[in-house]
Amino acid sequence: MRKTLAAGITAGAIAAFGLAAPAYAISDTTADLSVLHGIPDTPVDVYVNGELTLDDFQPGDLAGPLDLAAGDYEVALTATDAADASDPILGPVSVTLEANTSYTAVAHLTEGGEPTVTPYVNDISETAPGEGRLTVRHDAAAPAVDVLAGGTPVIENLANPEEATLDLAAGTIEASVAATGTTDPVIGPADVAVEEGVLTIVYAWGSLEDDNLDLAVQTIDGLHSAPDGVPSGSGGQLAERDAMMQTLLIVGAFGVAAAIATSAVVVSRKRAER
Amino acid sequence: MIRKAIATGLAPLAIVLALTGCGQESVTESPTVTPAPVRTSAAPAPTASVDVPVAAATPSPPRRAVPPTSVSIASIGVDVPVVDVGVEEGGFMELPEDPAIAGWYRWGSDPTSETGNTVISAHVDAPGYPIGPFSRLRDLGAGERIEVADADGVVHPYVLESVTYYPKAELPVNELFSREGEGTLVLITCGGAFDSATGRYQDNVVAIAAPA
Repeated sequence: MRKTLAAGITAGAIAAFGLAAPAYAISDTTADLSVLHGIPDTPVDVYVNGELTLDDFQPGDLAGPLDLAAGDYEVALTATDAADASDPILGPVSVTLEANTSYTAVAHLTEGGEPTVTPYVNDISETAPGEGRLTVRHDAAAPAVDVLAGGTPVIENLANPEEATLDLAAGTIEASVAATGTTDPVIGPADVAVEEGVLTIVYAWGSLEDDNLDLAVQTIDGLHSAPDGVPSGSGGQLAERDAMMQTLLIVGAFGVAAAIATSAVVVSRKRAER
Repeated sequence: MIRKAIATGLAPLAIVLALTGCGQESVTESPTVTPAPVRTSAAPAPTASVDVPVAAATPSPPRRAVPPTSVSIASIGVDVPVVDVGVEEGGFMELPEDPAIAGWYRWGSDPTSETGNTVISAHVDAPGYPIGPFSRLRDLGAGERIEVADADGVVHPYVLESVTYYPKAELPVNELFSREGEGTLVLITCGGAFDSATGRYQDNVVAIAAPA
């Protein structure tokens, strides 16, 4: 069989690509922290370890990610006119960040309507080729809910501040949120794009009683993985043809060899006859 | 994106304004006041210690891919249409059944992406079809030109760097399907010995080409 390859480059082909980066890595010493503001009508200042980190942070806004050294942090929320963190309206809350981990700290209402902070760990593990990941977090002052995709419950009985995560074929789903056991949407329906290799986090926030339930969306990309392989031949005709060519070549070579041998014999005979 | 955090190193004027807004005096005297003493003074509103990106938590529209529509390699007589493909059962790259049609891996990069490889693959052969055009990839030589047309009608030229036989189990999928780095063109088909028991070739034949 012929192996007509571009001269001399074969061995270098992999080296040329360099080392493939792992699917998604933060670092062995730091964590990523994002902060979501999910308390309606209450702009705040956010202090981390006593330092003003987010000034005039508005409901529905997402901040970050911050690349922070692993360790313990104190987070406090104050009114926007506060001079320091000494008189927080929420906190201080102690948050422990582990290295190489992605967090989202969410300021939100409890089911009973009290402000709180919940630190969530985001699942940034590799996704299968062709799939994306959807995480749903209940951060609203509302009872347990079902999450429906195209009208069918896919997450059931999710209570504040729980979360649920699904890996799904990439595409767009029509998502809605309904009280557990019902299908009448209290939020949505809304189109949610589940992108390949992307974690999409959907937060339900606000208050059912105050009629200001809303969705917030955070995405983290780069979780994709490559296909396992490329099965790109199943007929065998090429191999067959190659084998046939090989045979013809061999036969041809024999023929040439035989002819040479014959003529040599003839020549020597002729010589002998002289 | 709305950036609300105030970083250090702002124009002095901005700091003066901020302090004035808080009713502090003794700040108008020097337009060159630096952030450090401001932060240590007793009462004014502090400025954020780091600049953190802040944006509304609403989904941003995904990047629109521009799918390749054909691959042409004049030197080996290849001119094949390209369709979008994904992943088949078992996690393998999906391929058009007809070896005369190539598939572009739609979850990866395309020729217009800022980074990452465009991966296009076709069967070398399949039962009931003639041997496919990609059977001739092995005849490519370094420096030969490959053209990929996209759905916007733009032709992207590439120059061949290498053709490599990989045993299938050793195909470096993470490198070949990388979504980072230079926008390399990766053409894949099969080759090597054929195992008629499994109906599979032993190797993948991989042509790598750089943007011309």
